[in-house]
Amino acid sequence: MSDLDKAIALLRACRLIPENQVRELCYKARELLIEEGNVVGVDAPVTICGDIHGQFHDLMELFRVGGDVPDTNYLFMGDFVDRGFYSLESFLLLLCLKVRYPDRITLIRGNHESRQITTVYGFYDECLRKYGSANVWRYCCEVFDYLALGALVSGAATNLEPTSATLADTFVDTDDSQSSTPATDYADIDIEVLNANNEILSRYRRRDRDPLMSSSPVRGGMSGSNGAPRAAGAAGTGATADSGGSASNDGGAVLCVHGGLSPLIDTIDKIRLLDRKQEVPHEGAMCDLLWSDPDEIDGWGLSPRGAGFLFGADIVKCFNHRNDLSLIARAHQLVMEGFKEMFDATIVTVWSAPNYCYRCGNVAAILELAEDGSNAGFARSNGDAGRSRGLPMPMPMPMPGIGPGGLQGQGQGQGQGQGGGGLIPRQMDIGHRMAPGRRYRVFEAAPQDSRGMPAKKPVADYFL
Amino acid sequence: MALAVPPANDRKRVKVYELKNGDWFDRGTGFCTGSLVNDEGRIYVQSEDEPNRTLLETKVSKDDGYQKQQGMSPRFTKRLQPDTLIVWTEASVTDMALSFQEAEGCAAIWDFVSEVQSRQQALSGPDDGLSDDVIDNLHPIMLPPPDLSNLAEVENMMRAANSTPAGREALSKFVVGADYITKLVPLVEMAENSESLADLHRLCNIMKTLILLNDTAIIEYVVTDDVVLGVVGALEYDPDFPTHKANHRQYLKDESRFKEVVKIEDEGIRKKIHFTYRLQYLKDVVLARILDDPTFSVLNSLIFFHQVDIVQHLQSNVIFLKELFSIFSPQVTDQQRKKDAVLFIQQCCAIAKSLQANSRAQLYQNFITGGLFGVITFALRHQDAAVRVAGTDILVALIDHDALMMRSQIFKALNEKTKPLTDTLIELLLVEVDLGVKAQMADAIKVLLDPGANTASMETLGRANNEYLARIQRATPMVPQTDTFIQKFYEESARKLFQPLKDLEGRERMDNLTVQEVSLYSHLVEVLSFFLRQHTPRSRLFVLSEDYASRVAQLMSCPEKHLKLSALKYFRVVFSLHEEHLNRQIMQNKLFTNILNIVYETMPRDNLLNSACLELFEYIKRESVRQLIDHIVENHRDRLKTITYVDTFQSLILRYEQLHHPEEYGLTTQDIEGPAAAAAAAAAAAAAANRGVINGGGQRWQAGLKDIDAEEEAYFNGSDDEPDEEAAAAAAASVAAAGQQPGMPNGAAGAPLRPLVNYPDDEDDAMDMLPEIDGVPSAAAQQQQQQRQRQHRRGETPVPQTPPPERLSEKRRREEDEDEDDELGRLSGQAKRRSSTGSAGGVGGNGVRLRRKGTGGGGSGGGGAGPKKIAISLAVKSQGVAGAGTEMEGGAGEDGGGGREGDGD
Repeated sequence: MSDLDKAIALLRACRLIPENQVRELCYKARELLIEEGNVVGVDAPVTICGDIHGQFHDLMELFRVGGDVPDTNYLFMGDFVDRGFYSLESFLLLLCLKVRYPDRITLIRGNHESRQITTVYGFYDECLRKYGSANVWRYCCEVFDYLALGALVSGAATNLEPTSATLADTFVDTDDSQSSTPATDYADIDIEVLNANNEILSRYRRRDRDPLMSSSPVRGGMSGSNGAPRAAGAAGTGATADSGGSASNDGGAVLCVHGGLSPLIDTIDKIRLLDRKQEVPHEGAMCDLLWSDPDEIDGWGLSPRGAGFLFGADIVKCFNHRNDLSLIARAHQLVMEGFKEMFDATIVTVWSAPNYCYRCGNVAAILELAEDGSNAGFARSNGDAGRSRGLPMPMPMPMPGIGPGGLQGQGQGQGQGQGGGGLIPRQMDIGHRMAPGRRYRVFEAAPQDSRGMPAKKPVADYFL
Repeated sequence: MALAVPPANDRKRVKVYELKNGDWFDRGTGFCTGSLVNDEGRIYVQSEDEPNRTLLETKVSKDDGYQKQQGMSPRFTKRLQPDTLIVWTEASVTDMALSFQEAEGCAAIWDFVSEVQSRQQALSGPDDGLSDDVIDNLHPIMLPPPDLSNLAEVENMMRAANSTPAGREALSKFVVGADYITKLVPLVEMAENSESLADLHRLCNIMKTLILLNDTAIIEYVVTDDVVLGVVGALEYDPDFPTHKANHRQYLKDESRFKEVVKIEDEGIRKKIHFTYRLQYLKDVVLARILDDPTFSVLNSLIFFHQVDIVQHLQSNVIFLKELFSIFSPQVTDQQRKKDAVLFIQQCCAIAKSLQANSRAQLYQNFITGGLFGVITFALRHQDAAVRVAGTDILVALIDHDALMMRSQIFKALNEKTKPLTDTLIELLLVEVDLGVKAQMADAIKVLLDPGANTASMETLGRANNEYLARIQRATPMVPQTDTFIQKFYEESARKLFQPLKDLEGRERMDNLTVQEVSLYSHLVEVLSFFLRQHTPRSRLFVLSEDYASRVAQLMSCPEKHLKLSALKYFRVVFSLHEEHLNRQIMQNKLFTNILNIVYETMPRDNLLNSACLELFEYIKRESVRQLIDHIVENHRDRLKTITYVDTFQSLILRYEQLHHPEEYGLTTQDIEGPAAAAAAAAAAAAAANRGVINGGGQRWQAGLKDIDAEEEAYFNGSDDEPDEEAAAAAAASVAAAGQQPGMPNGAAGAPLRPLVNYPDDEDDAMDMLPEIDGVPSAAAQQQQQQRQRQHRRGETPVPQTPPPERLSEKRRREEDEDEDDELGRLSGQAKRRSSTGSAGGVGGNGVRLRRKGTGGGGSGGGGAGPKKIAISLAVKSQGVAGAGTEMEGGAGEDGGGGREGDGD
């Protein structure tokens, strides 16, 4: 058993490795990460994960639900540290796995992977408590500077591949539920949501852009037990609700970043021209990629976070079109249902810290994208397609107060009159890429008994 | 003394009740009056039956909660009308109630009480904050004396009370008054003895509820010696973890955790130290998972106040200090004790960071008198890395506290011909083997020599990267003493520090560096870069005279990629300085060969090193640093031609051609200078200025994190040429965000924007204000403008080395990706550029000018997104000013609004 494997075993048991090993690990990771581009290329199949935030036991649960490394190919979109009480164990384990299986796990940087933020939100204190000095914090921060800023997933299948999953009691098909069996024809399935027990909670069929059809999948489709979120409003449906459907041509790539887009980045190639080896700046492209959020606005807006921007559907669609993307996957925002698709399924937020901060009551999700080759021999059943097309679906309820441009009160409205006829893309004229089939696995916090009481490490000795 | 309002003298029929053992006891019926004597209000009730007998005489108190309400107890004989009841708590902690026959009578007495209270409050000056919440509370709560048989009942009653604010208030009051916790504590052991897990779980829930009542008195009480073990004992049995039992008692019982380096005689202070520790333990361990925000902050502030008391006491205790520092005398041989003493002082300094400036100054002063510098030197040379870490910590805390004082100490040492601290640090950095400590020492050197590090506000930014702290204060002029200090440093110490770099000269092989060397060199290169940015012009002369550039370039051929990267970034820093002599030295020594070597080695792979190279060349190209472009293309044209996997290098050649033969390319000067980009920059800058305000009004915060180069630019221009500090700062702020204009329509939106070279542009200024009369500029005006600019540019050097100071914000940017054919874009760009002087005028005028600019952009049809964004900036500007404080929190920690519940990050 190599030292690395020993370290992995220790960390998996939520135990720390000695400081000198941390240093070695960080140096090895640095050598590895320096070889990665600012945007790492990743081949499907891949499982995309959002914020972890030091919730070690939930990370273990994530691996249980999503499969272990190296069996599953993982992509973590940052925010490994802070908030939770086991940032060190979580980050060091991920780093160990990275060093051990460099091709099976990809780590990109989140806004919490920064000196400034970690001094405020817990990671610094945790290092101090657990190692007695800030050295380990310094080593980790050095690694943060080397983390890639994004990843580009290529080769994702547009159709889901069948699974052995069974239907949950509460299963809801967007189509008509009586016809559904686990082994149903997948050719038409756009989204499938599973719980932690590998039971299918719901499926959403791909819709074409017939306006009659551009409506919501069943709302509240995820209510129920068995590890499913009980929150009203189905996971992601708030977003898929106004989806025009992901239709048309071939699948494009999937861009993964922690935060979102930047007004300074119009093509992915531009990201390549950044020197990322620095503390996350307060402004500029690199900052935006890690800090921005999608929002129901037109164009760009100021972010309430004080860093990054808000960006609207037009921005996302334009960017995806220009870069031949079918989807942007990002993290950075807590979503109670674990994931949330927005803007006609052109962008999705994935959140992987269940019961965030040990009290938010949210579920977590991971996003699985299958490999393209898998559906090569898969015949599409016209019957199913026709049927799904024929059934009207409930119209989405407009969210009160958040219509298109509903948030323009923040001052954006003023410029609109003058700016008319500007560069806002003609919406919907862009034939966007068919989104890959998305299989979300939703899971709850690890059973509390399995992990003892979460607590910070107490101060060891005291003089004062 | 008469009452302004008619006193409640007419008699009101009333029943008097007293709360006894949870029941309302009827004390009789009588007539109620109120009277005011010497500003003291009293309520009397004379018995109905025996008029001479006084049923009640009570002073209206300022604080006690009087409450007017409906009937509260079924024991009242008749159903009471609304508001016939006044309830309050006597000073003797007895709950009393007056039940009036008529609502009017109740109202009259109520008015009387209110009147008296408001008088008292007026007399006693400003509200003391205690009486705020008396209005709507107090259904008094009585819990039965707890025993194992009624815990379930107690728990339920508590849960019920806990659900309303009034209930919580009443519960706290009762628990404190009845000393309830003391009664609960023995039950823990009893339940343990009878192995009743259910009871233990109930006790745990009860304790949790009590602590989360968030009552300071309760929280202070639970950590006292008598009850703390019982309390945490109960909390060991968390029903959320039925199969687990924590071992809090065992942990807290362990006395050995308290290291008493010097005996603390004062019993109260000793107690406080233990309380503080227990509070911390509660916060971090026992309650970590369940703490809500209010309790969290109550715990924190309790800890803070205790610590203040403790440190205040110790630092003024002469005997204590004497004994503390005598530990370091050579006579003392107990090494462990010395080590502990260093750690003790480290902890004092850590706590001191949160003290007020004057008490902190006093603490350090007393420490220094006691011999703190000796302790630091001792610690830095200690064989145990942990002690060296502590020593560096103390040192950095000291510098953060008062850099000037530190420097004067070093001066003193220099004058006395003893070894100054700087030299000690340098020696240690060079030999330090612990790589963590080494990094910390390199940081300490930076902080010590940071000309900006002399304001007390620094430490509020915490221990983050000192480089950031440094940049923040760059706009402040150097204090003369600081300047001399730095001069001394370059005369005496700098060579020692960078000697290892010097030693590289003549070294043949770079592939055999030891781990220690690699680490040392990367620190040295980083420190050197830092000095270059900080110490103008001394560091530049220093670098020039010793030709450090060539040595750093040598490092680029070592196999360690991160060191390569550090070296590469050094050159990037140099180029961003736009310092002709530094550039020339690099060119003379043909160091671009080394840089291009890295490109060759890494291309066409997409990795960090390669990206850093591309960024460097993009920067030169974007900035149109003609001196460098000429050199690169003239010396390396063939090599550049072969690098085709990105267009950076071809466009560098193209830029060269354009600079030399603009007419052959059919280009206007604008194309060369990148007008649209410049305009975008200015616009962005202005927008950013607003943003800066939003982010906390601070140049500081903004400066702290913004793009390095932009700020540098402004700094150097500012400090070299710009006498007007404020203008410089404003410009810095605006330039800072040059990269941040969202929605700039053409190209501008697409490129990784960077700061710009200064550019003299007098004519633009003159022109700018003319045609833009609130709206779409006329085509004629544009043409005219364009023409004038052409004439203007022709006879001009593209990149002057010393830009005129008053052009600070006229940053120019070349936008490669701008759609050159897009006439609309060009027009819109131009429209913006013309108004770009808006930001040159300083932050104050931005609002108005911005709007104009927006209009221009929109009018030309290309700037749809632009004006919108500008409008945003306008709108938030005013908000930003008002709410700067709060917004800053949001900026600083993304948590301002969401709180700990975190609406996501």
